[in-house]
Amino acid sequence: MRPEIRATQDAMERHGYVADSAIATAVYLARTMPKPLLVEGDAGVGKTEVAKVLAQMLGAELIRLQCYEGLDVNTALYEWNYPHQLLRLKISERDAADPAALERTIFGREFLLERPLLRAITRPDAPPVLLIDEIDRADDGFEAFLLEVLSDFQVTIPELGTLRAEHVPYVVLTSNRTREIGDALRRRCLYLYIEHPTLEKEVRIIRARLPGVDARLAGQIARFMQSLRRRRLARAPGVAETLDWTRALISLHLDHLDAEAVEATLGCILKDAGDLRALGEADRAELVAESA
Amino acid sequence: MTERGLVAHLAAFGGALRERGVAIGLGEEVDAAAALTLVDLLDRDEVSTALKCALKVRREHWPLFDELFVRWWSECRPSPHVEHHTRPATDRTLPRASGKGGGASPGGVEGAGREVAAGEPGYSAEAMLRKKPFEEMSQEEIAAMERLLARLSRRLATRRSRRLVPSRGRGLPDLRRSLRRAVGTGGELLALARRERAIEQARLVVLCDTSGSMDAHARFLLAFILSLGSAAHRAELFAFNTTLTRITPFLAGARVELSLDRLSAGVPDWSGGTRIGECLAAFVGQHLDRVVRRSTTVVILSDGLDRGDPAVLAEAMRAIRARARTVVWLNPLMGDARYRPLARGMEVALPFVDHLAPAHNLESLEHFLTLVPA
Repeated sequence: MRPEIRATQDAMERHGYVADSAIATAVYLARTMPKPLLVEGDAGVGKTEVAKVLAQMLGAELIRLQCYEGLDVNTALYEWNYPHQLLRLKISERDAADPAALERTIFGREFLLERPLLRAITRPDAPPVLLIDEIDRADDGFEAFLLEVLSDFQVTIPELGTLRAEHVPYVVLTSNRTREIGDALRRRCLYLYIEHPTLEKEVRIIRARLPGVDARLAGQIARFMQSLRRRRLARAPGVAETLDWTRALISLHLDHLDAEAVEATLGCILKDAGDLRALGEADRAELVAESA
Repeated sequence: MTERGLVAHLAAFGGALRERGVAIGLGEEVDAAAALTLVDLLDRDEVSTALKCALKVRREHWPLFDELFVRWWSECRPSPHVEHHTRPATDRTLPRASGKGGGASPGGVEGAGREVAAGEPGYSAEAMLRKKPFEEMSQEEIAAMERLLARLSRRLATRRSRRLVPSRGRGLPDLRRSLRRAVGTGGELLALARRERAIEQARLVVLCDTSGSMDAHARFLLAFILSLGSAAHRAELFAFNTTLTRITPFLAGARVELSLDRLSAGVPDWSGGTRIGECLAAFVGQHLDRVVRRSTTVVILSDGLDRGDPAVLAEAMRAIRARARTVVWLNPLMGDARYRPLARGMEVALPFVDHLAPAHNLESLEHFLTLVPA
């Protein structure tokens, strides 16, 4: 393994993110080339965390744009502060100022509200990390607009002119694949698909994130989750669920898994009514036995 | 390997991936070349991860990628290897223009030429490529159908988006634009701007049975789904018989008649047997999450004559029903007044279907329009 990639992996681990070599390589490449990184994978495998840990590693500001259906440019990019502008107009009515000067004033930077995308390209000191979360939830129109911003890192505001990025931000996009991302956007990015962790990795994640956990319990939980994911489930639990569950078990002062504990806390890991029903008492006993 | 040799090798590897149906562009290859300069070339796993990342290989293509990776990057192969490895990609998509005689009327499949495409990308080895002419459909018929289907698909798939767009005279007050206008009139609010929820473009998923038992209807129904596909702005089309084939690409930007030619050339095992359950399960496994959203109408065109395991079909239908907005099953057999949905497949699927309707001619489709809520 190349030393720089090893260093990336170690740095991520120091900040509480257990990365396998695939993740470390992708993060290193995205930082060095530099290109936006598109991260896909099932819910709860730690896609958003990649951006967070990258920001921590670089000591950079994390700017997050949460996508949703109906997200528009005014919420994502910029907006004029109209009430503020109107107040300024009212105030200046009394002293009959030069109209051109007045216009320049009310369309100045101080009346501009920076939304995440604009904010990401106007940071003066250092490149921030821009997290565009769940891009699949935004509509195609927004995706096309994003493409433009991500290729030039400049934004044109009619009243103000073109703003160019002082520092090109590190961009991480995440997607749950509820919709296929357009090819054009995909091509601009590097691609990382995060799978559910292996047994060893899951144990390490539990112990890294929750240092107080009993070593035996951590092993049991990880084995239980591994066998659970091999079953046919409508919604396979991710690492996020593993950690929630571990926290729940710790707060119940349990140091090992048994059928009773599993039954009481199953809601932490299975979040689909059908899955909960399908996993009967016998199945639970089997899983507990397998994880012992 | 020299740097130039490496780039040539990479390009050849990209060609091999393309040949197997993994979409890789020049941009991806440039990224990959840049990435290779940043990793340890002696570490095979690292090279593999870096290539996956830079070539943007999707999860579903990983097994194929790994297989090719082992072949191409284990030892340094000389790149002349490329020559006989690359075949023109157009082979597959060009319409097979050859009219296979008038003998191949609906039902007369045996007249259609057989062709076994050994190792052709994206095709199961056993499934045979059979051709089937669509000449019988007249221009007027197609035109009439297209008009009707434009209406149908709007009806099926129109919905109000969450996004708000400016409107005239109705909807919610839009303070932002009202104030923006007021700036022009010195702060006087003269008229309220308003906005309302946008009307979304149609979103349809169509699954069409092309098995032997559907033969008599196939020509008509395919014209139907192709028209649906061009009328709806976002449509995903699939054909199934013993295997599931995504046929949306055949449709891209083409007119209906042209697409029909391409289709008969491109769908494997045309007029073969049916395994509805397995095919729908494959759809659920591979495509459901991506192509079906809460706003999607799923249309299944089939006679429901299934020889597979009914439990598999029921499970797949349940999954589709849980995710889609509406599930419509169009059954050409229902043209017969004595028909009852008793075929085993139909019986199993029925509880998960919102609308079951006949589809054997234009009139039945017109009637179907009145059934579907706007």
